[in-house]
Amino acid sequence: MTNVGPPAAVNGRISIRNVSKVYDPDGVNVLAVDNCSLEIAAGEFCVVVGPSGCGKTTLLNAIAGFHGITSGIIELDGEELCSAGLTTEPGSERMVVFQNGALFPWYTVLENITYGPEVQGRASAREARRAASVLLGELGLSGIAHRYPGEISSGMRRRVEIARALINDPKVLLLDEPFRAMDALTKGVVQEFLLQAYDRVRKTVFFITHDLEEALFLGTTVVIMTTRPCRVKKAIKVDFPRPRSYRVRSSQRYLELKEEVFEAVHEEATKAFEAGERELA
Amino acid sequence: MKRSQQTVFSKTVYRGFISIALLVTLWETGRRLNVPMLGTIPAPSEVLGLLAKMILKAEFWENWISSFRRVFFGFMAAQIVGIPLGLAMAANRVTHDVTFPMLEIMRPIPPLAWVPTAIIFWPTTELSIAFVIFLGAFFTVVINVLDGAKSVDVRYVRAALSLGSRPRDIFFRIVLPATLPSIFTGMAVGMGITWEVVVAAEMIAGKAGLGYLTWSSYVGGDYPQIVVGMISIGVAGYLCSSLIRFAGKWAAPWQRLF
Repeated sequence: MTNVGPPAAVNGRISIRNVSKVYDPDGVNVLAVDNCSLEIAAGEFCVVVGPSGCGKTTLLNAIAGFHGITSGIIELDGEELCSAGLTTEPGSERMVVFQNGALFPWYTVLENITYGPEVQGRASAREARRAASVLLGELGLSGIAHRYPGEISSGMRRRVEIARALINDPKVLLLDEPFRAMDALTKGVVQEFLLQAYDRVRKTVFFITHDLEEALFLGTTVVIMTTRPCRVKKAIKVDFPRPRSYRVRSSQRYLELKEEVFEAVHEEATKAFEAGERELA
Repeated sequence: MKRSQQTVFSKTVYRGFISIALLVTLWETGRRLNVPMLGTIPAPSEVLGLLAKMILKAEFWENWISSFRRVFFGFMAAQIVGIPLGLAMAANRVTHDVTFPMLEIMRPIPPLAWVPTAIIFWPTTELSIAFVIFLGAFFTVVINVLDGAKSVDVRYVRAALSLGSRPRDIFFRIVLPATLPSIFTGMAVGMGITWEVVVAAEMIAGKAGLGYLTWSSYVGGDYPQIVVGMISIGVAGYLCSSLIRFAGKWAAPWQRLF
């Protein structure tokens, strides 16, 4: 691969081995994730796609430390993060960007960004503010530093949220359909923003989406999940060079990859749909 | 956006004046035309005439000061006890389960029904009065704070945990600011209720106060003065609630955006 940009990441290798997760709502066991294994290299941009409700978010939440798993093991840089009896508390080395956004509405953009360094005691309030101002400047967000999240557009909010994650220098960035419900134009701009950030500081990225175009444009690897229970169906290497521009989308190679991904996802989506029909009947 | 807001605001004020003018006009004409039932109520002209005389007297303002003092202490006590209790109930399951049924049994009891017990229990008249006012605001405050703190979006808590928060950060930097708007809503509604119960409270052998003024006017047969007392309570309550809404906007500036 012809990666131009920052030095390769040394930290942030995620190893998911034989992970299963059973939910037990109302005594009815639901197998959300079934014997799922996935290796994500340090600094890899891994995009996970799959039918709705297939258990992708379950996997992300386990890595983040929001809940445990039933069996198997998840490791970060060879250290056990999650297994049947162990859940590592959420922490700033695994930053999460949520589906509906979770900027704190009661803090300004700048205060949102300094939140992490301050509560972790990594920096004094003044140092944190200075670092945040520098970061906002680099990312072209200086103009909105003193605005509240409610005052800025959804696209801006996502950028700020990514900045808030990055200032903590995480090993892993976990994004759960962060650009869902955005119009196509805004989405394109925010995707480019994420890629620029990724090219600037290479982190391991675990990115969940439904949008196949988005998956191919962003990812180094696109992992296609089966319908519930969630397992890896296929992993496709996306070998476009970085930095990428939107022009990638009109290349011949892109169309080939798109067809490959589409076919795999379509098969699973059909299965999910039919399973849904059976459940209803 | 600012301009349209100002236009709406001035229209609202304008309509508000029309509304009050309409009420006074209907009342006055009804009285003059001797509409049945209205005949016994003093006319606005009488009431305003009396009010004009009364506002020049120090006694009238002493009534205001007495009521404000009682409302202030009763209301503050309700905040000091109610806000931490509501937060504790939201944060801790056991606290909630132990206190909630107790509160729910006491909540529907009207403040007027508390008056005899308040007189027996508290050593001084002033304490009894403040206690009845306290009860008026207390339950509303607790319920609002509890609801507000319980409905903090789990996303914010999870994001805060990811960012490395300790439990006290979760409380002071997430739960508290997220609950602040509910706290102010509870305060504004609770403030309204304290003025609603001020008559009941000041029936406890008060020597001054707007509720006392209203009740003693009735007992003494001075009908226009009853209405002066009523209007005074209405205006006092409106002023206090406005003050709290204003404080709420100042304390939670991000709220103005939604």
